[in-house]
Amino acid sequence: MNTIIETNMLTKYYGTQAVVNKLNLSVPEGSIYGFIGPNGAGKSTTMKLLLGLIHESSGSICLLGKQMNQSNRLSLLRQTGSLIESPSCYGHLTAQENLEIVCDLKGVKYTDIDRVLAIVDLTNDRGRKVKQFSLGMRQRLGIAQALLGNPRLLILDEPTNGLDPAGIQEMRSLISEMPKLCGATVLISSHLLSELEQIVDQVGIINHGKLLFQGKLSALQRHSKGDIVLRVLHPQKACKTLLAQGITVRAEGNLLQIPPVHEETLAALVYDLAMQDAGIVGLTQQTKSLEDIFLSLTHEKEAG
Amino acid sequence: MLTRCMIAENRKLHGSVIWLAFFIIPIFPAIMGTFNYLQNIAILKNGWFDLWTQHTLFYALIFFAPMVGLYAAYLWRLEHLGHNWNIIMSAPVRPFYLFFAKFIVVIKMALLTQLWVFVLFCICGHFFAHLPGFPPMQIFLWLLRGVLGGVAVIALELLLAMVIRSFAAPILIALLGGVAGMAFVSQGHGLMFPYSLMLLGMNSNKAEDIISGQVSLFVLSCILFSLLFFLLSNLYLTKQDTHT
Repeated sequence: MNTIIETNMLTKYYGTQAVVNKLNLSVPEGSIYGFIGPNGAGKSTTMKLLLGLIHESSGSICLLGKQMNQSNRLSLLRQTGSLIESPSCYGHLTAQENLEIVCDLKGVKYTDIDRVLAIVDLTNDRGRKVKQFSLGMRQRLGIAQALLGNPRLLILDEPTNGLDPAGIQEMRSLISEMPKLCGATVLISSHLLSELEQIVDQVGIINHGKLLFQGKLSALQRHSKGDIVLRVLHPQKACKTLLAQGITVRAEGNLLQIPPVHEETLAALVYDLAMQDAGIVGLTQQTKSLEDIFLSLTHEKEAG
Repeated sequence: MLTRCMIAENRKLHGSVIWLAFFIIPIFPAIMGTFNYLQNIAILKNGWFDLWTQHTLFYALIFFAPMVGLYAAYLWRLEHLGHNWNIIMSAPVRPFYLFFAKFIVVIKMALLTQLWVFVLFCICGHFFAHLPGFPPMQIFLWLLRGVLGGVAVIALELLLAMVIRSFAAPILIALLGGVAGMAFVSQGHGLMFPYSLMLLGMNSNKAEDIISGQVSLFVLSCILFSLLFFLLSNLYLTKQDTHT
């Protein structure tokens, strides 16, 4: 698969602090790439670097198969749509006029406005002034601006920020359809893994400007698996069985916590517990918070 | 590319509050100038030309430069608010064209302001000063020349409004610049200070043409100052990171 974004040792310093530190990002074409990290991790800075809004201290950026430089920046931007930080709109103008401004700047025909308004479901609000819009509507207008001109690459910085649960769901389904609707590759950032889990296929995790993980979502999900909690009627019997299998157990009343194991091993354990009459009444796999995943990834890196 | 930027800039002025300022502000110097003229009518015998000296005493000195500053500050305020810098700077256009498009739009607004000032001048002269006929065409040309003298200030005010990100600061600087410009003109160094150029162009507070004989120097000074401010603006837009 071709990569649509590739950065090589991309670094950005503010003063002496490396906000983005030797970042090697690789976004496959046609994917929805979730760029995840806590606030201040360097997500927005990376996205701004990709758009040339800020200048890198060192390293390089390859966008749409071309090494980005001053001479080809404009042609690359022509094929890129973005929503950085929050939607950029002029409140005293209507949605239609705001989109016309972006059309003017991008050199796109006004007829494209109908298409993008339909995608973000704002056709009936095109004549309303943007200052009357809710945050969710503004976010959708921001997406519409990004979609003008059918870009090959969409860079969306926390597009669900500030939205209510319904708005988040709406935005999620809108973004998940982008590759199908527009054929665009999407790079989307968030500070919540759970927010993107349902729509992304590739994930990059950044913290303190460093990329801790990059790859398929399924690979990350392995890291995100937390302890297994068993609720049993006879904890002593259960503990004895588990310890006999060499599993470390933490007991609290009738709740037993064991480290994550492979599914086959878990099935065998459940069978053994049932045979020993431990009385299993519940089994849940805890999911790690993003912070815990960061820690486990960091520990792995240090150990590696 | 530049045309597209200019169309976009013009569109941003649709239904904007700036037009309210455009219509209201020039009324004040017109009232003040006419009142001053009527108070001194015993010594002001030169008809339309003397009314012009009184109008420009206030308009050129106190109002024109701040109005240009207001237009510049408003156009950049639209980008400073929210995260609009992101959208303009990630657009596939040369950053300097974004600046130059605003420059052209402010020139257009300055020209329209001068036309409105001329209309107010005619109204005041005809209905309040009871002057005969129409003002001499030379006065209209001085107003247009005021815009030529103002191009450097327009470029400078746009640069200041872009960098300082305060709405009031460029306007205040323009006000101070206008007053300082008068001092430069009175010292005979008007061609060396951008804010003086708009006063010279408009023939402020003078009935006889003060730059006759040095028009080419006046034009050269306007061009050189404008080029300097364009260069600084381009440097800022291309070398600085975009801040929102």
